[in-house]
Amino acid sequence: MDKALIARGVKRCTTGRFLLWILPWLGLLAFGLYSAGLCLVKGLNQTNMDNRFAFGLWIFLDLTVIALGAGAFFTGFLLYILKLDELKAVINSAVVIGLVCYSGAMTVLAVDVGQPLRAWFTFWYPNVHSMLTEVTFCISCYLTVLLIEYLPIVLQNRRLRDVPHLMVFEHELHKLVYVLAGVGTFLSFFHQGSLGGLYGVLRGRPFAFREGLFIWPSTFFLFILSAAAVGPGFILCTTFLVEKISHQRLVNRQVYRLLARISGLLLAVYTAAKSVDTLIWINRTSPGSGFAAEQYYSWRPFGTWILLAEIVLFGLIPALILLAPRLRAHTRWMVAAAAMACFGVALNRFVMTVQTLALPTLPFDPFLSYFPSWQEIGTFLAVVAYGVLVYSFSFRYLRLFPEERELRVEPARQQAGLEFVER
Amino acid sequence: MLPWNYGFEWNTGHIVFLGAFYTVLVVVATTVISAMGRARRDLARDCAGDIRWHSDFHDLPASDRMCRHVLTGEFRRRECPNAFDCRRCQTHARLIERHPPPTPEEPEEEILGMSFPLDRFYHRGHTWARPEPDGTVTVGLDELASRLAGNPEAIELPQPGTKIHVNGPAFRIRKRSAGVRVLAPVDGAIIETGSLERSWLLKVKPSATGEPAFRHLLRGAEIHPWLLREMERLQLALTAAGASPALADGGVLVADMAEACRQADWDAVSGEMFLEP
Repeated sequence: MDKALIARGVKRCTTGRFLLWILPWLGLLAFGLYSAGLCLVKGLNQTNMDNRFAFGLWIFLDLTVIALGAGAFFTGFLLYILKLDELKAVINSAVVIGLVCYSGAMTVLAVDVGQPLRAWFTFWYPNVHSMLTEVTFCISCYLTVLLIEYLPIVLQNRRLRDVPHLMVFEHELHKLVYVLAGVGTFLSFFHQGSLGGLYGVLRGRPFAFREGLFIWPSTFFLFILSAAAVGPGFILCTTFLVEKISHQRLVNRQVYRLLARISGLLLAVYTAAKSVDTLIWINRTSPGSGFAAEQYYSWRPFGTWILLAEIVLFGLIPALILLAPRLRAHTRWMVAAAAMACFGVALNRFVMTVQTLALPTLPFDPFLSYFPSWQEIGTFLAVVAYGVLVYSFSFRYLRLFPEERELRVEPARQQAGLEFVER
Repeated sequence: MLPWNYGFEWNTGHIVFLGAFYTVLVVVATTVISAMGRARRDLARDCAGDIRWHSDFHDLPASDRMCRHVLTGEFRRRECPNAFDCRRCQTHARLIERHPPPTPEEPEEEILGMSFPLDRFYHRGHTWARPEPDGTVTVGLDELASRLAGNPEAIELPQPGTKIHVNGPAFRIRKRSAGVRVLAPVDGAIIETGSLERSWLLKVKPSATGEPAFRHLLRGAEIHPWLLREMERLQLALTAAGASPALADGGVLVADMAEACRQADWDAVSGEMFLEP
């Protein structure tokens, strides 16, 4: 039915199967929109957050998806600025992932902030002393950049290419995409850093407070590094997942290995930097604030295991796997390591958000506990469903993987035993 | 976030932050406006066809973008840097100067049961161009393309007076609900349209005459290796498009491939063979 919209020579499931696939996600999205609607109409009393526990599931989700979505800017940077041409094979997919992550984060942030009719106040009456202002400005700008980067991908749709005006505009916009990649890199570096800096400047929360360079606490740099490390890893994981779901090869194995190598290298640097930062914090920053670092880990369930898991299990080990050519050669090891790295960053954002707020900082403070309400979980799930839907439609109707067609012909080429064909 | 807003001060921090922010906005807006301006200029210059072909060529598999001199064994591996427009290729000019193509002894070449008259030039998108004594050029589908299309549902030919450009769209063929554009082999203006029954489709008044105007087209000894390769591409396209094994060695192509291979995704096969990815 929709064959005319699907690119030539690629294999996609029937319209019926596609509808069956999207139906549950649409249901989840509807449930999530209802949950978000309740929060917007009735207020934040629908959530389990309060004045003491003001950051919860949503901020954790925001920080995580923004880190995972960093693959868009970092892949763009590697491809258009550093000219790693192999990454052309995944750049479109990376842009869609980035768009989904950032737009999802912005939507959840809008629900979290509330008062949607006053959303423009953020821009018109900003608190110039807050790092969040920088984050808001950067994320809004970068989302705009991602939308513009997504436009040529949409305009490459088979039907739209038949409209000369759109086709020529797409061609010209694509020629200038390196400018957008540069701007995206600039914005991303700053807002990833500012998100980290947000926690590092919390003097009243010695668990999160960090020293640093000039005005920037060490978390500023750690957030940038960790996002750059897991961005390519997340692209690797999603590409692998899409290959499994669609039962076909989408990119060359060399591209996988390149992404793994980049991710591994940056993850190793991040793990080393995080370890040094933790040692400085344990031995200098925390005692300087009047707290022995070990006491933060006496509150169950946040024992020292969480620190070890973050640095060793989901940092050092995946970095070593991704850096070892023998292990990297096995797709299962490589994907598992990339997934572990992504999980490690999610854990880091959880620690920074939830553990920081849960721990008492004054003698009379209790240890706070928090579990999200169903409305919070519903809104969280809506973002997941939205991401799956946008990616599914993009995969079906747009050319996310330019090598797909050629890779599909490869078995036929071997089967036909063609000798004359150049490789 | 402007000077008249609450909390704003004229200090270095604010100026640097706002300067960076507004610079980003200006750069993004300028990029989009610039792309729109360039697109408008391209459309005014009638470059849409050329842009489309370059984009299509870029999307072809690397093995389909190979230089014509690979076919004749002069290079082992070389990708065409000019999107099959050899008129501006210095390597091609040098090679034909060094080894001028021999004059064919036979008036026609019979390849795998298909006839390829050697009084004309062949485009890699399966059209031919024959210079006529009156200075016009006749354009038609080669035998392989005719057998692929068989008895098409429709051929959408341009009106007389329409200008066509090398590697731009010349006409469209519709078969089994799949439409494909066919590339023009020459530059010029259409003066008459024909039909498949008359074995030619367009009569063109060319923009240029002489050998350079046809330099990008295949001829003589190039036809045989090119066609063998095209048959391999066809076999590959049919297998990838879901057809059962076809084109046995020594066999001859049937008159209507689209009808003979009903199980194949004809949209994909025709796109592959007519270089429209």
